[in-house]
Amino acid sequence: MKGPVLSGAKGLLLFCALAAVLLAAGCGSDEDASDSSGELLVAAAADLQYAFDEIGALFEKETGAKITFSYGSSGTLAQQIEQGLPADLYSSANIDYVDRLREKGLLIEDTQQVYAIGRLALASSTKAGVTVSELADLLRPEVEKVAIADPEHAPYGRAAEEALKSVGLWDELKPELVYGQNVMAATEYVRSGNAEAGLVALSLVIQETAVTYVTVDESLHQPIEQALAVVKDTKNEELARRFVAFVRGPEGRAVLEKYGFVVPEEG
Amino acid sequence: MFDIDLSPLRLSLQVAALATAICLVLGVALAWLLARRQFWGRGIVSALVTLPLVLPPTVLGYYLLQALGRRSLVGEFLEDSFGLRLAFAWEGAVIASTIVALPLMVRSAQAAFEAVDPSLENTARTLGRTNLAVFFTVTLPLAWPGVVAGTALAFARAVGEFGATIMFAGNIPGQTRTMPVAIYDAWQSGDAALANTLVAILTVTSLLSLLVIGRLLRVSRW
Repeated sequence: MKGPVLSGAKGLLLFCALAAVLLAAGCGSDEDASDSSGELLVAAAADLQYAFDEIGALFEKETGAKITFSYGSSGTLAQQIEQGLPADLYSSANIDYVDRLREKGLLIEDTQQVYAIGRLALASSTKAGVTVSELADLLRPEVEKVAIADPEHAPYGRAAEEALKSVGLWDELKPELVYGQNVMAATEYVRSGNAEAGLVALSLVIQETAVTYVTVDESLHQPIEQALAVVKDTKNEELARRFVAFVRGPEGRAVLEKYGFVVPEEG
Repeated sequence: MFDIDLSPLRLSLQVAALATAICLVLGVALAWLLARRQFWGRGIVSALVTLPLVLPPTVLGYYLLQALGRRSLVGEFLEDSFGLRLAFAWEGAVIASTIVALPLMVRSAQAAFEAVDPSLENTARTLGRTNLAVFFTVTLPLAWPGVVAGTALAFARAVGEFGATIMFAGNIPGQTRTMPVAIYDAWQSGDAALANTLVAILTVTSLLSLLVIGRLLRVSRW
């Protein structure tokens, strides 16, 4: 009798021990960060990555708040906010997405601001040993792949499509295009040399040594208006409003200009 | 120079450990049912449990958002009644990982249970053991290597979950940015140091899990 009982107890014990160890590891540190005061989650368009990381650090220094960024294409983020992403702020590279969310009642109306205009850049990869200096150069045989962001949901992708259509190159170039999930991914295709060239955000290549670039004539596409607004469900409206003001303030403007954004005059 | 944010590693371990614990309990129960009981719809249950193995993770992520998202019936109920938000939260990542890891646990444990000679269980039963006692004193000890191998496989798969996670839980640093999501993010932003570190960690952990599993299953054959 004793033997089997022991091994049975051992089986049960082992089973429970394994489950318990896993559970303990899983529940080890259950900290829910987003809700406590003094924290912000900003859903921000991919072109803002470098600029907002810097502005965020300055804002943290000044206010002592903790600010976290979730970067993605403006369309993806809008979709996520509609589905309940617990963001305090939405910063889009295209004002249309902000308008759409505002019309659905998901944003605080009076917080919406257009604070900068993004510029489209024609970038070429130094790794691939290719330099393109105008859109027509994309037709050269050594340019096999051209990276753009997905025009379906990424503002820079849409601007790239518009620009290529304006100069009548879209149909011819279409087979050579590779779509990035967002403009950051498209930029990485060029930076790594997997695409010889790309139409990407100036803000992501302006401080970059692995690519050369020229800015694309703004008249070829709709303006890439950077807009942000506070999300209605925020638990920290006051701090969120402070961040909007900070982005528009002297420190925010300086950083935005450093990354090639065109910042409109106040008023 | 070397300031690498390792919070995705901690988060991944936490999410995967919890998902594996759920898989272990749920998976062993399901595996035993499938191995030892004949019931109506058994084939369907078996197929449903295995489905995440062959479905693209994007399909699972889409289902999860539709079924448990914050604008879904269940999601709204959970949030209003218990303050529990699954979408865009680490809890959601646990659910995504559990669903993709469960088939590995079930299949491995089921095979192990099926390999246990039923006459041994019957003998124990004729000696007056209850079904539960038989399970813990005979079936589980004999099937143990397969169960542990399934657990290790499930853990490795849970750590590696990406598609359903990024759709259902999003990409929030420190909250839902698990290692696979962090790698995608690091690649996009050209952060090679972070990408290389995380890729190396994931490769080594997964390789170690497989080595452990191989060892376990070899031992079980002796």
